[in-house]
Amino acid sequence: MLYINNLTKNYGSFTAVNHLTLHVPEGDLFGFVGPNGAGKTTTIRIVCGLLRASGGTVKIGNTSAAVGSKEMKRLIGYVPDFFGVYDNLKVREYMDMYGSMYGMYARDIAKLSDDLLELVNLTDKREFYVDTLSRGMKQRLCVARALLHNPKLLILDEPSSGLDPRARVEMKELLKNLHSMGKTIVISSHILSELSEMCTSIGIMNGGQLITAGRIEDIMQQLGGGKRLHIQIVSEMEAAVRLLKEQANVRVESVRENEIVISNNGTDEEISALIGRLIQNEVVLTGFYREEGSLESLFMQLTGKTED
Amino acid sequence: MKNKFFTWQEWGIIMRIHLNPIVKKDLQVTARSMRFSWGLFAYEAVLVMAFLLAMAAIQSQSDSIYSDNNIYSYLIYLFPVLAVSQVCIVALIVPIITASSISGERERQTFDIMLTTCMSPFSIVIGKVISAVLRILFFVVAGMPIMALSFVAGGLSWSSLFYFVLTIILLSVLSGSIGIFCSALCRRSITAVILSFAFYFVIYFLTFVPLILKMLWSKAERAGESLLFLLFNPFVFFEEFFMQIMTGESLFGMEGSFFSKQQVGFLTYHLSQGKAWMFLSAACIFMLSVLFMAAAAWKINPMHSSAGKMRK
Repeated sequence: MLYINNLTKNYGSFTAVNHLTLHVPEGDLFGFVGPNGAGKTTTIRIVCGLLRASGGTVKIGNTSAAVGSKEMKRLIGYVPDFFGVYDNLKVREYMDMYGSMYGMYARDIAKLSDDLLELVNLTDKREFYVDTLSRGMKQRLCVARALLHNPKLLILDEPSSGLDPRARVEMKELLKNLHSMGKTIVISSHILSELSEMCTSIGIMNGGQLITAGRIEDIMQQLGGGKRLHIQIVSEMEAAVRLLKEQANVRVESVRENEIVISNNGTDEEISALIGRLIQNEVVLTGFYREEGSLESLFMQLTGKTED
Repeated sequence: MKNKFFTWQEWGIIMRIHLNPIVKKDLQVTARSMRFSWGLFAYEAVLVMAFLLAMAAIQSQSDSIYSDNNIYSYLIYLFPVLAVSQVCIVALIVPIITASSISGERERQTFDIMLTTCMSPFSIVIGKVISAVLRILFFVVAGMPIMALSFVAGGLSWSSLFYFVLTIILLSVLSGSIGIFCSALCRRSITAVILSFAFYFVIYFLTFVPLILKMLWSKAERAGESLLFLLFNPFVFFEEFFMQIMTGESLFGMEGSFFSKQQVGFLTYHLSQGKAWMFLSAACIFMLSVLFMAAAAWKINPMHSSAGKMRK
């Protein structure tokens, strides 16, 4: 659906986005992750036609339209990180205005905005002034506005920033709903736990470069840093550490008083065999458990590596 | 299925010609604000004051010993007094409205969303200028009863009133386009307002510079064709308009004046015949407005300008 090829953005001598190549498949809920200044917002703004790229190409679907052209704008629904609303404008009029800006007919706008307001749970606020809505409601209204022209790709830049926990949950549910309807969604966020719950794939950026992209499980599998095994040991600690270090695909992460933490990307059978080997070498175990890899640990691991 | 005159597809295109969404939104938002109502009240108050002052002046003039005691012969001067008052107010209000239009959208953080819609930068600029002109028309219409007094009492024709409204629209378009250009240039509304008044100053006074230079430095006795620069000057345009309305003559053809046949150049003299100067000047001012609007549209287009600047 979204093809970004060799995208570069320079501000004088500073490179904000450095030869970024990325593909987001149709129907994906793609999470764009990265620390502040990683180049996520710059990339999003270029895709939405709000910024001119220094180099590279952006393509959506099968269209060959240029970034910033009407054709391209019709394919994208954009929800920015910070946005304002107009005073003295009702929710219905707000939707009507943006529908007209996409050249839609009044009767289509009326019908679609009713459906979308129902989807974002704002039907009862139709006649309310936009500036009287809460931050969460405004955010949901902005999503409804972005969907009004039925775009193929929905791009949200930090949609949860400034929202209270309840509004965040509502926003997450809304995005999950949209994903289940088959929309392709690109979302940038700092709240990694939220992204890991809803995204099908992610792209991690740092220093203007894409470090990795793909399905979360695949990335964790590739890096091997995702699966951690905690082994509680009563005796023969040194022998256990020595034995573990000798194993292929095993990295000893930490050794505490009676616990060794290792990371490996082996299958369940391989882990079982590894435990068996420890027991055969007379290491006395009291237990072991596998820690599921989190997006946070993966993110820290990847961005930490790059900074080093 | 085909209609007699148009295909259904063509009818569709015709029906799609709708009001610019920015105009509609701006008018909705403006009409609901108290500031607009107070603005109308202040406008009416200023016009009534100007009317009363003019009447007092006319009364004192007709009472003087030099007067022929016919007050009606002076009532025609109500028109320039009220018209100039309106023009001054419009020239003051429109840049304030438009200079904060783009920068105001930026400050409100609504501009990015607007740019991601299918509206072209030029449609956005046009929408902003039209909404400013329409708001000014509210003021002009509200001031119509007072203006009408000068026509009824002063004996001017109703077509003059119509032409006056057209000139007000022209001035609004020029002021609006200057304001929107400055708004596109500046991030802050207050800076845009100040800059648009600076541009005003430049247009009003810079067009006199060739004439002044010619008269001072070359010690020429004739203004010659340097007067052609004044085609772009709204002040001179209004002078010409008032002359045409009140005397039926052109400012540049008056015998004995600085702009007489002997003083002006060949081209200027021939342009001053009839209403040619007035219409040509109107066309020049309109062209200048279009240039400002095009520059504003270029400036706000993310694919053209400011692309190298980093957002703070």
